[in-house]
Amino acid sequence: MVAVVTAFSRVAEPESQCISRALRRRDSEFIGRLVQQYHYRLLRYLVFWTSRREQAEDLVQETWLRVLEHAGRYNGRLRFEPWLFSIARNLAIDHLRKQQTATQKHRTCREDEEGLNLPAPEFESPFFAAARSEDAQRIAAALGALEPIYREALLLRFQEELSLAEIAQVAGAQVSTVSSRIQRGLSMLQASLGGGVDAA
Amino acid sequence: MPLENHEKARFLLHRSLVEGISLEDRHWLDAHVEQCAECGRYADVSACAVRALDCFVLELDPAAALRVENAVRSRAEAMRSAEARGKSLLIGTSVALFLTFAGSAVMWRPLAWLASQWSLPSQVCQIVFVVFWLLPSLLLAFLPLFRRRLLGEDSDNNGQTV
Repeated sequence: MVAVVTAFSRVAEPESQCISRALRRRDSEFIGRLVQQYHYRLLRYLVFWTSRREQAEDLVQETWLRVLEHAGRYNGRLRFEPWLFSIARNLAIDHLRKQQTATQKHRTCREDEEGLNLPAPEFESPFFAAARSEDAQRIAAALGALEPIYREALLLRFQEELSLAEIAQVAGAQVSTVSSRIQRGLSMLQASLGGGVDAA
Repeated sequence: MPLENHEKARFLLHRSLVEGISLEDRHWLDAHVEQCAECGRYADVSACAVRALDCFVLELDPAAALRVENAVRSRAEAMRSAEARGKSLLIGTSVALFLTFAGSAVMWRPLAWLASQWSLPSQVCQIVFVVFWLLPSLLLAFLPLFRRRLLGEDSDNNGQTV
């Protein structure tokens, strides 16, 4: 009887509570499954932030390690996704800041060393890499032109299907700010697509 | 058609995409979009912009995914064993502290009796007790907790630098 009740309570337990418990217990099997389950979504989110596939892949791993370190802070009362994305977001922002500082230093060095003429790094945007058709190429260009905060808001709303409150939790912003970011992002995307896009 | 109607339609279109609108507003919007070609086109472009996001599909590298999974799992296991070690150290320290204080209570009387036999002042007796009994016991009790700092150890059980 007790076993049945225990099994039932396990089944009835919300997923977020299971995740919270597994993270606190450092259940490597469960955590491994969790990494697999969220890998694609996390990678896509980080690509939307960094616009670089390789950096996003590194940040995915860092995000999970940070999740393990701060497992005690997730109590399972709220959904797991917003918490996960907020950690990834903070890491991405830190990374972009470091990159900006490094670029500024690099520029100063280049100004100092006139003889050294380094070529600008070339990379294929993941947005273009993901685009297969001509329309998709235009969409990739439009996405690439958007600022990360707008890309992020659009992704979280329309692909991750998070609520405005959850997006606000991820972005650490007011719900009204998030709403206007989504509207602005959509307007910019519409403008970039020129209103002539067929459904891709 | 009044200009306010177009503005209202665009406002409602955006709102319906972002956070949803009431049924009444939905009926009004649908009716307006049917009548107004310009707003209809605007609605199509908005829907296309949202659908456009679905175009963005990343190809997953299974090896990279597996690498991440393995790294995270091994870190989780390392953290679990470190936490278990920390927990047992904490329990050991608590037991050692309890024994120290219980032992002090037991030892105090015979020591005080010995001091009275040798006619030692009670202050000297207390200092001797603290220096030669209480302090060494406390140090031994806390040593496991702070051994890394005290002994300058900087590696975990796997021999990896922390």
